[in-house]
Amino acid sequence: MAGIPLDWLLVWIGGIMIVVGVISDLIASIGMLRFPNFFVRLHAATIGTIWGAFLPLIGAALVAAGSEFLGEYRWFMAGGAVVTAFLILILAPAGSHALARAAYRSKAAKVEPKVVDHLKEFVEVEEK
Amino acid sequence: MIGLEEAVTTLIMVTIPVYVIAFTLYSIRALKGPTIPDTTLAIDAMTYDLAAFLVVLGIFFKSPILIPTAIVLALWVYALDLYVAKYLEAKEMGE
Repeated sequence: MAGIPLDWLLVWIGGIMIVVGVISDLIASIGMLRFPNFFVRLHAATIGTIWGAFLPLIGAALVAAGSEFLGEYRWFMAGGAVVTAFLILILAPAGSHALARAAYRSKAAKVEPKVVDHLKEFVEVEEK
Repeated sequence: MIGLEEAVTTLIMVTIPVYVIAFTLYSIRALKGPTIPDTTLAIDAMTYDLAAFLVVLGIFFKSPILIPTAIVLALWVYALDLYVAKYLEAKEMGE
């Protein structure tokens, strides 16, 4: 560790995070296209938001903090990236959860494949 | 030994085509999606990734003005999620 300057260390760690995030993004988009129905596609959306958006944002913040050629505004860019990452970490699961609940209750998407559906009995009792 | 600026620029130039391919695949699902939740979910995932892409592009072009755009995008697509969920469940948009 003694030979690596701090800015290169930040850029290396951030760069690895950006590359991992981009690869997860590609995997999530392939899954979004290939999976059979809505409730299975939720899984791809989770990978696409947390691994594909949160992780590269933290990596971009590290890269911006380590890149001196960006000038004085690099701290603004790093802080903005961290704020965006935090917002996505909180808002993405909440949004997709609300969407899944609405899709189930309005019967817009079919629940498939399934073994047993206990929530169905509960919703039917609630609607009466 | 290459400079720091060159290394960062090369890294981002490698990632840009992968991002564009991912956005194309998301767009195909958003256009095809058989039901409304499918379309919304594809737009949702695509826009969160677009926010990350904008921050990366801000580093690439050395322009800090692209950073607040990413925050607005993340908040906007959360509002889209909630509105669509509310419409599907209650069949009204909310006053």
